[in-house]
Amino acid sequence: MLKEITGRIFNIQKYSVHDGPGIRDVVFMKGCPLKCIWCSNPESQSSDLQIAYNITKCIGVNSCGHCIKACTFHALSVSEDKIVLDRRNCVNCNKCVDICCSKALHIFGKDMTIDEVFQKTQNQAGAWRSNGGITVSGGEPLLQADFVAALLKEYRNIGVHTAIETTGFVHWEKLKQVAQWCNLIHFDVKMLDAQKHRKYTGVDNIIILENLKKLSAGFPNVNIIVRTPVIPDINDQECDITEIAEYLKTLPNLYDYELLPYHGYGRSKYEQLEMAYELKGVASLEKSSIYDLNQCVREMLDLPRKTYAGHL
Amino acid sequence: MEELSCCKEILTEHEKRVEKGIGQLSPRPRINGFLTNFRDQVPRIDIQRAVLFTESMKQTEAYPMNIRKAKALQHIFNNIDIIIQDNELIVGTCGGAGRHAILFPELRGPWLEKALRGVQKGNAFRISDEDLQTVVEKVIPYWKGNSAHERYLAMLPSETKEFIYGDGDWGSAGLLQDNANINATLNWAGNYKKVINRGLLDIKREMEERLSQVPNNDYTKMAFLQAAIMVCDGLMDYAKRYATKAREMASIETDPKRKAELEVIAQNCEWVPAHPARNFWEAMQCQWFVQTAYKLEQPTVGVISLGRFDQYMYPTFIKDLKAGVIDEERALELMECMWFKIASYVPFNVTATNNYFEGYCHFEQTVLGGQTREGKDATNELTYLVLRSKKEFPLHYPDLSVRLHSGTPNSLLHAVVDLIKQGTGFPKLLNDEEIIPQAIFNGASIQDARDYSPCACTEVRMLDLDTYMAVGGNLNLPAALEMALNEGVVTIDGQKKKLMTPSIKSADIKTFDDLLKNFTEAWDLFIQHFYKRQAALEISNAACLAAPFMSMLNDACVEALTDIHQPINNHGISKDSGALSVIGFGTLVESLAAIKKLVFEDKRFTLDELKDALKANFEGYEPIRQMLLNAPQYGNNDDYADEVARQTDEIICEVMQRYRTPNGPQNFKHVPVTTHIAMGRRMGATPNGRKAGESLSEGISPSQGRDSEGPLATLLSIDKVKSRVYNNNFSRLLNIKLNPQVVAGEKGTHDLMAFIRSFVDLKLWHLQFNIINKETLIKAQKNPDKYRNLIVRVAGYSAYFTDLSPDLQNEIISRTEHQVV
Ligand code: SF4
Ligand code: SF4
Ligand code: SF4
Repeated sequence: MLKEITGRIFNIQKYSVHDGPGIRDVVFMKGCPLKCIWCSNPESQSSDLQIAYNITKCIGVNSCGHCIKACTFHALSVSEDKIVLDRRNCVNCNKCVDICCSKALHIFGKDMTIDEVFQKTQNQAGAWRSNGGITVSGGEPLLQADFVAALLKEYRNIGVHTAIETTGFVHWEKLKQVAQWCNLIHFDVKMLDAQKHRKYTGVDNIIILENLKKLSAGFPNVNIIVRTPVIPDINDQECDITEIAEYLKTLPNLYDYELLPYHGYGRSKYEQLEMAYELKGVASLEKSSIYDLNQCVREMLDLPRKTYAGHL
Repeated sequence: MEELSCCKEILTEHEKRVEKGIGQLSPRPRINGFLTNFRDQVPRIDIQRAVLFTESMKQTEAYPMNIRKAKALQHIFNNIDIIIQDNELIVGTCGGAGRHAILFPELRGPWLEKALRGVQKGNAFRISDEDLQTVVEKVIPYWKGNSAHERYLAMLPSETKEFIYGDGDWGSAGLLQDNANINATLNWAGNYKKVINRGLLDIKREMEERLSQVPNNDYTKMAFLQAAIMVCDGLMDYAKRYATKAREMASIETDPKRKAELEVIAQNCEWVPAHPARNFWEAMQCQWFVQTAYKLEQPTVGVISLGRFDQYMYPTFIKDLKAGVIDEERALELMECMWFKIASYVPFNVTATNNYFEGYCHFEQTVLGGQTREGKDATNELTYLVLRSKKEFPLHYPDLSVRLHSGTPNSLLHAVVDLIKQGTGFPKLLNDEEIIPQAIFNGASIQDARDYSPCACTEVRMLDLDTYMAVGGNLNLPAALEMALNEGVVTIDGQKKKLMTPSIKSADIKTFDDLLKNFTEAWDLFIQHFYKRQAALEISNAACLAAPFMSMLNDACVEALTDIHQPINNHGISKDSGALSVIGFGTLVESLAAIKKLVFEDKRFTLDELKDALKANFEGYEPIRQMLLNAPQYGNNDDYADEVARQTDEIICEVMQRYRTPNGPQNFKHVPVTTHIAMGRRMGATPNGRKAGESLSEGISPSQGRDSEGPLATLLSIDKVKSRVYNNNFSRLLNIKLNPQVVAGEKGTHDLMAFIRSFVDLKLWHLQFNIINKETLIKAQKNPDKYRNLIVRVAGYSAYFTDLSPDLQNEIISRTEHQVV
């Protein structure tokens, strides 16, 4: 019965080494309650299936143009040999996507059953040799808690290490439902200041911080890694981070605290969805200084120092 | 225009750096002294071997071939220049000082003049006018009508000759690149252990004893033993000449330190190779003398390999180390002296006129680790020291591989990964779990199988058991597909040739099975020609070649008292273990999968439209090309594509089982070195979306950039593709590109170790890594089609590099500079 549920997934990445121990498969769930202005996976935000257009891949209307012929709803037009998509006319019939020879037109999002995801990841069984495992990320995986809990349960049943990456902005019940099947939870705390949090992510952080406390107290056997994406001019001051660290000190169970330096690699995806990218022109952060800061904070929190993990 | 043996490569990036003088230096001053001179040197063609060899051969025509070769080798040993270079600790050279190449006129003598005149025009090798004149007057005339290659060509059926060579007699027509007579033998490793442990005097004594037991009318066996005795004497005399030279030099040397060294060198050369080596230095000197003898005797594909260096050198190494006679530094210095000598010997193969410089690369494969004959892990202290020397020695020689098995200790794997992360491509990995069962299938005992030595690129030999020597060739798989689609017509260099008529006309190909049927028939033609040439080579080798030195050090030959170039029955294993290399497997199976899906199943376009698109090199057919590129791709653990690949593997295997040479059925492997580039250059567009002139796929790998699901998916695909119907499928070369981020730090090391364990578990033959660097990314930006698989890996984010806008790509390129590996 359970296996009939589907999850909406926008990517499954193989051979991931930055999202938990060992070599892992990462399942990215679609839909997120936040709207962080630095988000590098904008395709993860909406829970809908979304048509997207990758102009770099399109070979041009002159030599192709199949999509225009296929669209009977006049949602596609031509500009300088490339396509313009008018989302108001589009009815998501996918005809253009099916015909596109270069996959320039494609859909973000695919509904998959647990079996399908399991097959697509479990056949990488060699990866488990690494003591790696599965990580469910997003978007916010807990928006699809039934699916994620059932999926992780499958993996736990065969002894595979399980992890999720969550914003924490969900009902405690959902978090609880999924946490019981997790070995590891990556929990984002973007900033402590509530107002700032609302401004840059669109939501309040009260629930998030409460959930973190409950999680830490209620699941002593789950490893909790708190993560903070460090964004230039938004939360990149030492005090922003130490503030969070002070809060983390109060947690009964914390496995690690990681800082993730901002990068702008998501920009291309904003263009594919014709979304505005507000951080245009903001430079990526120097990794080494963030790394040093991270080590300092770890010391503050009595956490073991980590060797460099090689994030870009 | 092409070709060479399987072991040809353009200078490596690393070598280029060394040549330009910006390479790294060795921590050892003596070695750096050698390097200074090395860097600006164009290899010199040394004619001594050719002249002395020919002189002797002229005198001995009445004798059996092995006696003639033994006398010739002895003549060389007694007359070749004895040269000890500044600060050398290991002495002996095949052709004078500095970087040099030597000539083997007995193989392709009549072609030499053309080749050497070509050399004088280019700048990859050099030869003086005087030397050239000597070769033209004293060497070449004798070999006209007498060379191995002429004998072979004369034996080939005319259609086979045309299939291989077209109108010429030494290039390739692009379908079957023939390695015959470029080298005399398949790749091989020296049986150094025997001489180091026993000494030549003992081996000679054994030969004399056997000689006294041979019935005195058994002239072939007597000749074998007499030849063996002669080469023992020859090499021992050569060593003595070095001893004398070293003494002379010591007597006039003013630097006391060097004087002392020269005295030890003299002692060493007096003692080895005649007697068992007593210490590490002697063992190294002995090894090098034996290596020199192999090189002077005949050319071997890839140049004679070093074999299980950490095994046969271990006893003297550990004895000296424990006794304090040497420390690790001294051992490294001695090893690097040898590596340097290896780098100085450059193979010169007589092939086409314009590609000599590509011959620089050679593969004196040195193997570490693996198992003992008893099945225990063989790792020892020397294993780690050689890995360290690879890190510190600035040239790419010798070629280094590590044998892995399920019991390989983590500490070794850790050291291996550490070296891989240096990004030089070393070491290669070979998998005991796959190779040992194959050797047993070929007839070896489990003990002998465990003692195999990797040779040259990725092949393996059992040095006292294997006796198969005939060199193979490379077959162009995508050309067979072209014939299947086009009524037997193939286009090479824009020229059409009709070579056969498949049973289904192209207009009547209606199903995928129809296409496979035609492909099988076309492939059958390739295989028939291959067998015909292989048979001709086996027979002409037996008539023209002999290798008394190599044969004397092979137990199977000694038991049979038969030269290694003769058919040997009832002793050893005279079976080929992969002389035929299939080229473009990825290109072929990608093409087949795309046709199956797009033409026969989805009916996106017809076969005729596809053929038009190919003819036009996709000009005006870009949509078709894009669909082909986006069809299910082999190498991504995609069941659809992998099943097509498995079916194809089965066809290739099955067709090869249909025929035999006098020696038996042949096996195949996937080892192209650079043939895939050469063949691709001459072929039109292929149905996998590859444009005319682009490289074919390499080894067992998917085409460049097509494996977009990560390296583990590639391993799983390759495992699925093995049809497992016959056991005639040998070495499969696999190169994997690695993102520096996935191997960064200690976590990266552990992840890569785990990945390699998966490779061992999956029983795949070979694996080698390239680390993606800034240059790779720049290439990807310019040529996105070939790098569709590059994933930008950052926590919580994923995208393909080529999907990004140019400014973002630039940003990533600039950041890759600072990777902390
Ligand atoms: S929480 Fe993550 S996925 Fe959601 S908007 Fe923020 S950055 Fe994007
Ligand atoms: S999805 Fe349908 S309506 Fe929308 S652009 Fe494509 S073809 Fe037109
Ligand atoms: S079908 Fe695809 S490639 Fe062709 S014009 Fe439309 S978007 Fe571009």
